[in-house]
Amino acid sequence: MLLELDHISKIYGDLHAVDDLNLTVPQGEWLAIVGSSGSGKTTLMNMIGCMDSPSKGSVKLEGRNLEDLNASQLADVRKNMIGLVFQKFYLVPHLTAVENVMVAQYYHSVVDEKQALEALDRVGLKDRAHHLPGQLSGGEQQRVCIARALINDPKLILADEPTGNLDEKNEKIVLDLFRQLHDQGTTIIVVTHDALVASCAEREIMLNHGVLIGEKWNDEAARARYEAAGGKPAFTGSTEEGAQREGDLPIGFADPTKAAKTGGEAE
Amino acid sequence: MTNTGMFFRMLFGAVFRRRSRAIMAVVASLVGAATLFCLAAICIAVPQQMNDEMRSYGANLIVTPTGESSESSDSSAGRTGIDAAMVRHTTEMVRAKGSAKYATYRYENVRVNAAPYVMAGVNPKQVENLNHHWNVEGKWPSNGRVLVGRDVADAMGIEVGSGITIGYRASDNAASGSSSSSSSTSTDSSSSTDAQSTQQSDGSTVNGEDAQSQANSQQMQDGRVSSDIMDTKGTEFRVAGIVDTGGSEDSIIYATSADVDKLTGVKRGVDVIEYSASATGDALDATVKSINDMTSMHVKAQQVTKITSSDTRIITMLQTLFWIVSIVVLVLTLVGVSTTISSIVSQRSYEIGLRKALGASSTSIGMEFYVESALYGLIGGLIGTAIGYGLARVLTTVVFERSLPVNWPLAIGSVLFSALVAVLASIPPVSRASRIDPAIVLREE
Repeated sequence: MLLELDHISKIYGDLHAVDDLNLTVPQGEWLAIVGSSGSGKTTLMNMIGCMDSPSKGSVKLEGRNLEDLNASQLADVRKNMIGLVFQKFYLVPHLTAVENVMVAQYYHSVVDEKQALEALDRVGLKDRAHHLPGQLSGGEQQRVCIARALINDPKLILADEPTGNLDEKNEKIVLDLFRQLHDQGTTIIVVTHDALVASCAEREIMLNHGVLIGEKWNDEAARARYEAAGGKPAFTGSTEEGAQREGDLPIGFADPTKAAKTGGEAE
Repeated sequence: MTNTGMFFRMLFGAVFRRRSRAIMAVVASLVGAATLFCLAAICIAVPQQMNDEMRSYGANLIVTPTGESSESSDSSAGRTGIDAAMVRHTTEMVRAKGSAKYATYRYENVRVNAAPYVMAGVNPKQVENLNHHWNVEGKWPSNGRVLVGRDVADAMGIEVGSGITIGYRASDNAASGSSSSSSSTSTDSSSSTDAQSTQQSDGSTVNGEDAQSQANSQQMQDGRVSSDIMDTKGTEFRVAGIVDTGGSEDSIIYATSADVDKLTGVKRGVDVIEYSASATGDALDATVKSINDMTSMHVKAQQVTKITSSDTRIITMLQTLFWIVSIVVLVLTLVGVSTTISSIVSQRSYEIGLRKALGASSTSIGMEFYVESALYGLIGGLIGTAIGYGLARVLTTVVFERSLPVNWPLAIGSVLFSALVAVLASIPPVSRASRIDPAIVLREE
């Protein structure tokens, strides 16, 4: 498994932002983490992305336990294994599109402008390479962000609401890019409350107030591969009502925003 | 492109594509650099020039023959004074501690219209060079032409261009030879008067006793010795000029050394050497000591303490004031630059978090901001130093009435110091920046 979460919790005082979650993600899977605002999606993503550490439990990436690593080693894991895509793009405003892509190369290994231009070409922005972020539309900025995320060939792409600030046209472009990356074998974990984005993933898990309350597969072939590889359904040790516990069959759920997106044709 | 190239590309972007913030940081450094350079330039240049100019307001060191020398010469072939070779030797000793200007004086008692006066044989150029404060109406003495003190001129009702007959009697000088010399020394100039006071307070007896005997034997009035002996014979001179200092110089008649030699018919050494030495404080003390230790020279050196100490006090006060203001400005600059960098860091906190999320280490983030701060300091320092020089030049010209040459080592130091101050000022905000939690970039703002 590429990612293994073993009874992880993130506790702030009395608040359990993530409550005793067990989850495994194999190489090449496209997973969507869905839930309403405050459900703990971003906290979970920060722990997976080595930017936060769990209060309890452990996170393993490629079998490597992250709690054993110091800040510098965690930074190495981030730059070598993970590509990050944010809802608000977070481009450096005083660097051009190509320079923003090269920043990721700079911290990873060696800067290669030609390679950065190719990455921008891949997201359809080669002709906008020397524009500053302020001169690009929201969709273009997000595509620059994706180019930056994939420039170092990461094993895992973590995307937090990647289409949250985009119109439908740009949302489609971004999802197509994710599909291409997935087809090339990149593992993608998307945090979203957009049903359409979630439905593009092979697998979805749902959180509510930090507790896992559901899991469903949108691609049965992927499920079969997962189970064949020894993968088990996600579960939580939480005793909250509705929680998906160890040994339970995956509890299906309806995407809360899907009706709005699909005109009331929610399953 | 190399990673170093990318580093400078990021730096270029941060400085030149975020002009408003960069300008704030540069201005903060610029103001500090301009003020500090201006103060430092004035602090260094003005006291130096003041010291030089104060030296032109008379001597700070006088050298006279010792008592043994005078007495022995009186008893034998009359006064010999300090001969030319000894003047050169003494001057070499004084100049060993720094530059020095000097003038020599040979004093004789003479008669004008039968009334006794003191005449000084001098090198006019030396005296003029040493005493810039002398107010001379007309010209300095030349052969056949004398410079008359204001009191003498008023007493005799003479003007520039008038004729004056000066007589010399060997008996006037033989009777109180060394006395007149000493008296002349003590009344020659303000510095000599100071020297006399110092001498007396020090308990030195040679010239003090002579002055006392002079006072006992003859009554001084309006700078001349009261006498009832009528004798108007003498040599005809023209009055080249009248000197007015408000001091004892106003009671003396100055002629060239050659004219005094000719008038007296005797060539001899000088009675006083006045020095205006650039050395002050301990260095001047050392010079005095070294001369006085060499008893074989038969001369005695004394500091004109009043001028020396007031000179030093004024310069020290000026420098202290400038340094206090400089420290205040330095602290304000540090606060200003630090606040500006804090503002920049605060505005770019998400960018710092993003860079850390992309794998940047705290050291790498710190290095980027320190170099950026140094660049602001360099640019601000460069412009500020130029402005500071302009300000200092205007100030020294308008307020101090002095010129200010470019001090290149100070200018280069100022630019580098600005960069250093900018880096030091950015330590607290950059240190905070490097501790930013990268998770903030994934949070909703």
